[in-house]
Amino acid sequence: MATIERNEVFATVCRHLAEILEITAADISETQTLADDLGADSIALIELVDSLEQEFSDIIPNFQFEDDDLSGLLTVADAVNYIVLALGK
Amino acid sequence: MLPIAVDAMGGDNAPSAILAGALEAAALGIPLLLVGPEGLEGIDDLPLLVASEVIEMDDDPAQSVRRKRDSTLVRAAEAVRDGKASAMISAGNTGATMASALLRMGRISGVARPAIATPVPVPGGHPTVLLDAGANAEVQPEWLVQFALMGSVYSERRFGVENPRVGLLSIGEEPGKGDTLRKETYELLKVAPGINFIGNVEGRDLMTGVVDVVVTDGFTGNVVLKTLEGSLRTVVKALFTAFGQPEYADAANTLMPALLPLYETLDPDTYGGAILLGVDGVCIISHGSSSARAMVNGIKCAQEMVETGMVEAIRVAISSTLAE
Repeated sequence: MATIERNEVFATVCRHLAEILEITAADISETQTLADDLGADSIALIELVDSLEQEFSDIIPNFQFEDDDLSGLLTVADAVNYIVLALGK
Repeated sequence: MLPIAVDAMGGDNAPSAILAGALEAAALGIPLLLVGPEGLEGIDDLPLLVASEVIEMDDDPAQSVRRKRDSTLVRAAEAVRDGKASAMISAGNTGATMASALLRMGRISGVARPAIATPVPVPGGHPTVLLDAGANAEVQPEWLVQFALMGSVYSERRFGVENPRVGLLSIGEEPGKGDTLRKETYELLKVAPGINFIGNVEGRDLMTGVVDVVVTDGFTGNVVLKTLEGSLRTVVKALFTAFGQPEYADAANTLMPALLPLYETLDPDTYGGAILLGVDGVCIISHGSSSARAMVNGIKCAQEMVETGMVEAIRVAISSTLAE
């Protein structure tokens, strides 16, 4: 599996969030909540999860956010941690 | 023109009705790209984009698009995204069609939510555009304003209506009628640039020609649409039953030449389906029970929307309102 640093994962998550929510990537911080702080509703979250699955499936074979885990994605850091954990497996 | 991607496996009558419609459309000179399993029979010499999975009618929309990445629906949407097709059409799972288009083609910049626009027949006139017919069960007033704008562009491009009259579906014509959503939307539509807002309209106005575009939330829109379809079907069935009586045979023979064109006007298959407005590509959503005729008309509609630059027109309309 290719090596990828946590800050690269964070940058990638920010890029996708920026595209989906039409906000500036540089304004996003790890502690922000996806819903309340960034304004992501259920459709936007599905767009985020789907785009991240596509982005990381090249370096993490069969990478998917499990459906049961989606409710746990509350902050930007949660999404980053999920991917970092999958990278380490 | 790039080919139109046809989901060969979507719908209750797939693949037979879909392929029959596709072959008929191809005979008219419309370029097509079928999306279906390897070895799909009955496609003559039409090109086939192979996809190994099928999203079923009862599959969860968002989940199935993420899990069935090699499905005919997802591959059709990707063909548009990747520049291999100019449009997609499916008679399959409506929610999954919407999710495929949204997740693979993406939204037009500035569009909060895509909406399903459905032509509602008007005897003797052009159809009324009803949106949202089911994409968003819950909406915000600002989204309805965008729906009004996108519906206006669609009415102009598809039916040639100049400066389409936009109505907000409510329970009375007076501005104060309706719930909080309708009241707030009314105030926004009143001052929205580029929208010829004529005020509230009621369900009975949909098929009369007094309004060209009717906006509402997806829950209400879907209920209205299904109620209309069911009512029309019941009336037509009752008429044919009555005319089938021996004592009315002469009357039936006299009236049929006048009634059959009317029946064609009212038949949903005439329009071939709804369009998903707001995504970055043409996506036609056909009825699950689409016949070959519905598919031909849906494919023709897709071609028309590509040739008239529907997506670009919406992009321009949305960006101009954001600039104001």
